[in-house]
Amino acid sequence: MNFSLNEVEATAKRAARGAGYSWGHAEEAAKATRWLCAQGLDGTGALERLLNQNLTASPESHAPNTNECIWAGQKALCPLMAGAALSDCALQLNEAAISLKDVAVPTLLLPFAANAARLLKACATIEYDGTVAITDGYSLTLATAVPDHAQLVSIGLGGTLAETTSPRSRAIPDPLVWAALNQFAHRTYAPATEESRLRGAGSGLSDND
Amino acid sequence: MTQASAHIPRRDPAQVMRLSRLGSLHQCRLSFMRQLTRRMAQEGWTFTRPVFDVDENGVGHAVYTAHGPEHAYSLVAFAHDLPPEQRSDRVIAEAWDATFTLFDGIPTAQDIRRLSQNVPLQEAGRVSESELSLSRANRSVRLWAHVVDSLAAGHQPDLDQIYQVGYLMRTTAVYGSGKFGAADREKTCDRAELNAPFQAEMLSVYLTRTFVRDLVQHMARAKGGDHTAELDPAIARWLGIGNSTGLGMAPFIVNHPILFNNWIMAREEAISRVRSLATASEDEAQTFRDIFDRSKLSMSWWRSEHPIQVEKLSSLNADLQAISGYLTQNNLTQDHPWDRLIRWSEEALSEEGQELLASLILEPFGDMVDGLTGCMADGNAHAQIIDGSMTVVEVRTLIQNTFEWALDLDWTTEKNCARAWYVSEEKLEPRLGERFEEPIADYEQPLAPARDAAAAHTALAQWQDDTRIAEFMLRHPEHRHTIRRAQIGRVAPYSEIRDNTISASVMPIDMLRAKLSFFGATHFDPRSDRWVRICMYAGAPYPEELTEDRADLWVYPEPAE
Repeated sequence: MNFSLNEVEATAKRAARGAGYSWGHAEEAAKATRWLCAQGLDGTGALERLLNQNLTASPESHAPNTNECIWAGQKALCPLMAGAALSDCALQLNEAAISLKDVAVPTLLLPFAANAARLLKACATIEYDGTVAITDGYSLTLATAVPDHAQLVSIGLGGTLAETTSPRSRAIPDPLVWAALNQFAHRTYAPATEESRLRGAGSGLSDND
Repeated sequence: MTQASAHIPRRDPAQVMRLSRLGSLHQCRLSFMRQLTRRMAQEGWTFTRPVFDVDENGVGHAVYTAHGPEHAYSLVAFAHDLPPEQRSDRVIAEAWDATFTLFDGIPTAQDIRRLSQNVPLQEAGRVSESELSLSRANRSVRLWAHVVDSLAAGHQPDLDQIYQVGYLMRTTAVYGSGKFGAADREKTCDRAELNAPFQAEMLSVYLTRTFVRDLVQHMARAKGGDHTAELDPAIARWLGIGNSTGLGMAPFIVNHPILFNNWIMAREEAISRVRSLATASEDEAQTFRDIFDRSKLSMSWWRSEHPIQVEKLSSLNADLQAISGYLTQNNLTQDHPWDRLIRWSEEALSEEGQELLASLILEPFGDMVDGLTGCMADGNAHAQIIDGSMTVVEVRTLIQNTFEWALDLDWTTEKNCARAWYVSEEKLEPRLGERFEEPIADYEQPLAPARDAAAAHTALAQWQDDTRIAEFMLRHPEHRHTIRRAQIGRVAPYSEIRDNTISASVMPIDMLRAKLSFFGATHFDPRSDRWVRICMYAGAPYPEELTEDRADLWVYPEPAE
């Protein structure tokens, strides 16, 4: 089944929140997943792999220390926390590349590098161990698949787009992945009770008039 | 002759963005329905009804196609035979009198087959990238029966009953923008006719109104046979389409701060331009006086049984009298006439009356204000990206600018946080609950920006002024969404509601009305503090009557001759 990118974004936001991310990071997860799907990559799969790692059980150990030359955490970096920090620090890329150590599901860093590229009106080059991706914020050049886990990722300005991935207006998530995201999302929904059904939304009057 | 002189600035967001005022807004020239009818008339759109296949029980389908300069759009309508006990306006309903989708282009028989298996199911079905909206409507049981019975008996329905109800069917949800599989807005937003907000949805409702008129005639004929009267077009024109709206709409204006800002700011800019005029011509003054008289007639048809709206209508009626008095004693041509009028209204009228006047003074000045409709969409995706290089003191200042009033509030006091917004697992319905009485706090949605801003401000107080906000957010991800909103406020001064959206006394209908007024809705009729019925397109020309001279001011009825 195919889904609108709006549906992807809405589901990703709820799923990330359901998995324990802050609302601000859930918003980032939603935009990031949508951006990847719009580039024709498997954004929903990437998000699901991340949420399954349950990094929100100890969020501070997966956040980067951005005061060091190479950003690292006590444990594997969460790409949403590190990605958001990267986007926040985009201006630093004017001076030097930023390197990150030990990153989980590093595909999810791409949309944040894209934010930086759009802000700085330049191409950003992202190197994952051996794999190179280039984006101007709107399109993406990616020769080989991004690994599932990267020992070292560096993001710097520069590079030129070559053959780009084909943009998509719809996403076709793996049905199991989509179901799993909806399971995470479900944690944000309050169980329906008769009381909430009556008090929470309606007018209490007949509509048969 | 008009000339600009002393510039009157836009009104202060602290004045405009209070909930009671947002809950008193009225439609105006910039409203989305009026944008659509003006455009369709100017561009000479044509309309066809290639299919009308409905049986004597009112079951079947129909297609209505609107042909614009470059694109065609088709309403595919399904009519059902709904048992009365299933008729509910709530989102948790599962069957309706009629269901609809707006198809992008002209559907084939195969498209219609696919849609017939999905559109009647609404949320339980799927539409595709070829569809731009998904909606449904229920009958106003009383008026429907009255119109069918009258026509079937060979005579016209009673106009007074039509004025008072206003519509034969009311929509209970109109979904667009990628919902349930429909096309994302990005697919069509570069088309001139769909760039402004909610144009696909407004077109779908406009065509729905035509379908409902045709359906009621069809059902009358099924009942009355050869003796059936043809509905008089002059009466049909006063049949709008209703809408019944619950809480689902309230989060929208909080979740789309830039878009909401753009609506409010366009209207405020229009008001500012007109107020800045030093003089007005006799013609312009007369246009205003005529439209005020016509709007009084529309107001006289506005009914509500809800105590709050009853009181507001009573104030509004007093306001209308006061305005009439003002207009007999004052000229509207000299000495900054519109600014004088607005300043007078701020002293003399209720917020209902003030906002009515603020909308009405735009009417003579289409040339000066209609261009602002081009600024009402949200094309600023950049504004969502946080600038982490901003300093802590700068962010604190941004929060103070918007939420100073909220910083001293005791947010732990029960009355200040009595409510919580949440999503029920039941059809994902947004609801508002009692934080201290129901187990909902764990599911709370981020729809209390003022409380969150106060919390972020408190946390920021512990940080040094010149620290970059990126560092703060790394340590405090729970404030990230609030920092984003604070920065959005730099470019969107009207993005935040300046009231407590979780207080014991919050009236969600104020949020609903703010949004619906920009659609161009009239006759707001609250059914509770979180539920409102409205009327759309009452008075509008039907497709075959749509000409440039009738395309705009239809919202103001002309007294019967």
